[in-house]
Amino acid sequence: MLEVRDIDVFYGDAQALYGVGFTVAEGELVTLVGANGAGKTTILRAVAGIRPVARGDLLFEGEPLRRVPAHRRPGLGIALVPEGRELWPQLTVRENLELGAYDRAARARAAESFAHVYDLFPKLKDRAGQLAGSMSGGEQQMVAIGRALMSRPRLLMMDEPSLGLAPLVVGQMFAAVRRLHADGLTILLVEQNLARALKVADRGYVIETGTVSLTGTSEQLLADPAVRAAYLGV
Amino acid sequence: MGEVVVLAVSAVLLAGFYAAMAYGLGLIYGVLRIVNLAHGGIIMASAYVTWQLFDRFAIDPFLAIPIVLVVFFAIGVGIYLGLVRFLPRGPAGAVQSLLLLFGVWLVIRNVAYLLFTGNEQVIHTGYATSSVRILGGSFSATRLAVFAVATVALFTLHLLLTRTYLGKAIRAVAQNPDSCTLAGINVERIYVFTFGLGTALAGLAGTLASTLFAFNPSFGASELLKSFVIIVLGGLGSIVGIALGALVLAFAEVFAVYAVPPYLTTAVGFVLLVVVLVLRPGGLFGQRVLR
Repeated sequence: MLEVRDIDVFYGDAQALYGVGFTVAEGELVTLVGANGAGKTTILRAVAGIRPVARGDLLFEGEPLRRVPAHRRPGLGIALVPEGRELWPQLTVRENLELGAYDRAARARAAESFAHVYDLFPKLKDRAGQLAGSMSGGEQQMVAIGRALMSRPRLLMMDEPSLGLAPLVVGQMFAAVRRLHADGLTILLVEQNLARALKVADRGYVIETGTVSLTGTSEQLLADPAVRAAYLGV
Repeated sequence: MGEVVVLAVSAVLLAGFYAAMAYGLGLIYGVLRIVNLAHGGIIMASAYVTWQLFDRFAIDPFLAIPIVLVVFFAIGVGIYLGLVRFLPRGPAGAVQSLLLLFGVWLVIRNVAYLLFTGNEQVIHTGYATSSVRILGGSFSATRLAVFAVATVALFTLHLLLTRTYLGKAIRAVAQNPDSCTLAGINVERIYVFTFGLGTALAGLAGTLASTLFAFNPSFGASELLKSFVIIVLGGLGSIVGIALGALVLAFAEVFAVYAVPPYLTTAVGFVLLVVVLVLRPGGLFGQRVLR
C-alpha cells in the first residue's frame, strides 16, 4: 500500500533522513521505533506531504506521491494524527471532527464517519459541544484520532499517540489502535514506547539517526539482543 | 434624561457602523496575522467608487453595495495574489507586511488625488435630510439604514463563520494552519478568500461612510485607527467581541461631549486604547484568537 524508497529529507542544511526505505502492506500494522530525534516524525511528515522530500520516491497504492500537494493527500486516503495532537482549541469537538471530513468524498460520508468515531470513543459524543482546548490530554488525543478517521483514511499514521498521557489512558489508546487494526485499517505507528508498540504491531522498523537500522516481525525485534540492550534495558 | 437616551441611541447607531468597519481588519489579522494598513485606503477608495456609481450612473449608495462587495473582494484577492502572498510567513514577515500594505495605501491615496483632486466630496441622496423619530429623538434615515446594513452584514458573517465548512475552515486556519493542511484544507486558498472577504468588508464600510461623511483622498486614516482600537478592545475574538469593542468606542466618543470639547472626542478612543493596553493587554473581553 505504501512504499517509501530511499528518501532523503533536510531541515535547511541539516539532513534528517538518509535513504530511508520501508513498506506497509494493506491491512498491516507497522511501527517505526527508535530514540528521540531519530527521524520517525520526519518520515510521517514526509509521507503526509508537509515536509518536502529531496530525493527518493513515495508510492501510495502504486501511485507516486511526491508531486501531490499535502492538502490533497487526505483525499487519497492518507491521514496523519500529528505529534502533540494539534487540535483547533477554540472549536468544539464536533467542529474538529467535522473539519476532518473536509475533503468532498469524506464530507458526503460524514454522518457514517461520526457514528464510527463515536462508537470507537463514546466519550466524544458526550463532549461534542465542548471546546477541544478544554478537554484532558487523553480526550484530546481521541479527538485527534477521530479527526483523522473522519477523512476515511486507508492508511492511518499516528505519531506518538501515547505521549504525555497517564498510564491508564495509554492503555485505552493502544486498545483503540488494536481495534482499528482488527477492523482492517492499515496503520503506521510511531512510538517511543518500543515494547508496547511491538506488542500491537505486525512488523517494525528501528530508526537510528535518520536511517533504518533493523527490521523484522515484532517477535523477531523483541527477541533481538541488540534491540533488547538498546531499548528495553535488558 | 431625554438627552442621555438620544445620545445612547446615537452611540448604538454609530457602533453598528464601527463594527462593520473594524471587522475586515480583525478578520485579516486573526487569520493571516497581518495588520492590513491599506484598510483605510480601501475604505476611502470604496467611498469614491460609491460616489462615482451615484454620480455617473445614478445608482443609490445602498443599492451599490452588491457591486462594491464584488469589486473589493476581487481587489483584495488581487492584492493578496500579487503582493501579500510573497511575504515571509509568521513574525519574520510582520515588518514587511506593514511596509508593503502602507505602500499600497499610499498608492491608492495618490491615485485618488490624481483622479479626483483633493476636494471634499459628498453624496447627496434624495433622502439625505429625511429623519425618523425614535425615543423622543430625531435620527437621520441614512444613519438608521447604515446601522441596519451593518447589522445584517455582521449577522451574515457570523452565520458564514459558524455554520459553513468554509467558515469553520477559516476559524481553524486562524487557530492552527498546519493541522488544516493535514485535514485536507488548502490553507493558501483560505488566505486568499479571507483577504478578499476582509477587503470586501472594508469596501462595505467605505460605502456606508460615504453616505454619512464628506470625504477626500486622505479619508480613512482615522477609520483605520478606530478599527484598530476596536479590535484591541474587543480582543480579536468573535463577532461579539468586535461588536462590544465598537459599542465601547462609540459610547465613549458620544458621551465624551459632556467631558471634553468636541474637537477632542476623536482622541477619546486612543486614550481608551492606551488605558486598555496597559491594564488588560488581552483586550477588554479576553480571547486573542478567532473563535
